[in-house]
Amino acid sequence: MSEQTERSFQKQEAVFLNAKGVSKKSTRWHKDIGLGYKTPAEAISGTYIDKKCPFTGNVSIRGRILTGTVASTKMKRTIIVRREYLHYITKYQRYEKRHKNIAAHLSPAFIGVEVGDIVTVGQCRPLSKTIRFNVIKHQKKHAKGSKKFQKF
Amino acid sequence: MELRISRDSRHKRSHTGAKRAQYRKKRKFELGRQAAGTKLGPKRIHEVRVRGGNKKFRAMRLDTGTYSWGSESISRSTRIVAVLYNASNNELVRTNTLVKGAIVQIDATPFRQWYENRYAQTLGKKKRQPTEAEAKAAEAVKLRSKRALAKCAARNSTVDPAIDEQFTTGCLYAIITSRPGQSGRCDGYVLEGKELDFYLRKIRSKK
Repeated sequence: MSEQTERSFQKQEAVFLNAKGVSKKSTRWHKDIGLGYKTPAEAISGTYIDKKCPFTGNVSIRGRILTGTVASTKMKRTIIVRREYLHYITKYQRYEKRHKNIAAHLSPAFIGVEVGDIVTVGQCRPLSKTIRFNVIKHQKKHAKGSKKFQKF
Repeated sequence: MELRISRDSRHKRSHTGAKRAQYRKKRKFELGRQAAGTKLGPKRIHEVRVRGGNKKFRAMRLDTGTYSWGSESISRSTRIVAVLYNASNNELVRTNTLVKGAIVQIDATPFRQWYENRYAQTLGKKKRQPTEAEAKAAEAVKLRSKRALAKCAARNSTVDPAIDEQFTTGCLYAIITSRPGQSGRCDGYVLEGKELDFYLRKIRSKK
């Protein structure tokens, strides 16, 4: 019951909770998002309700798949992903560093996501004004990671 | 469209915070219309012509809807009595406005009749001794052939005690799942189990 923090009852749309004579207490719906991405154990066995979660909610991952580092986790259930790249200046035959920030929805299935972690995001339908991506894979930053510019 | 409500994002700041300059006027395809604010009362529905020539039925006043009793898998058309709770806005409760997601009280008689027909039992526990009228009703419910009674007995007639209690008052708690301002209907399902507990607590804590 700890997931009922809102003023309306949080539940998965796809699941009917009140079938008569059915003893299984926790009926939970989850899906395989495809493209070889594994659904986290927390999504299958957890109790959170998130309609924007790619594994237990009503969003499909299609279109672009991008990776980046986590720049900020201060928002509720969403993160800012920073993608760095090099831009070539033809006159000087040299490169310059540029970056773009992407707002991505972070499902409660991913626990312990911190600034600096590497994250894979997949494109989905618009979830809010700026969010069109959803986190589908999370990889912790290596302990010996340098502060220098990293390119993948 | 006289009110000029538009649903564009051109008037909003971009993701970086930059103010976007206006470079074109409002277009008809990004129009928005006034909210219906469907109230309880004798049915009054306005038809609206929408994009593509299609129709939307803007219910201005409604008093009945089709509600499903999920665990029994039946639906009945019933009268809506009152709006009890709205997660978004208390004002909508005070003004008895019907919107999707509002918790309402519905007339329980069609469901009670169906139940008594199917299971040959009465609903609603009564702590005191049943009056003569109620005893007669219980008898009438049992008036059928032995084979029919055996079939009724074989069915699973268990009902959640929280719902049983509601039958004594004659009103069930239900939630609206249709959009009255779009479809012109106020349909939904009867609240059961954890969801019922959740909303009952919310309603009581407000009183």
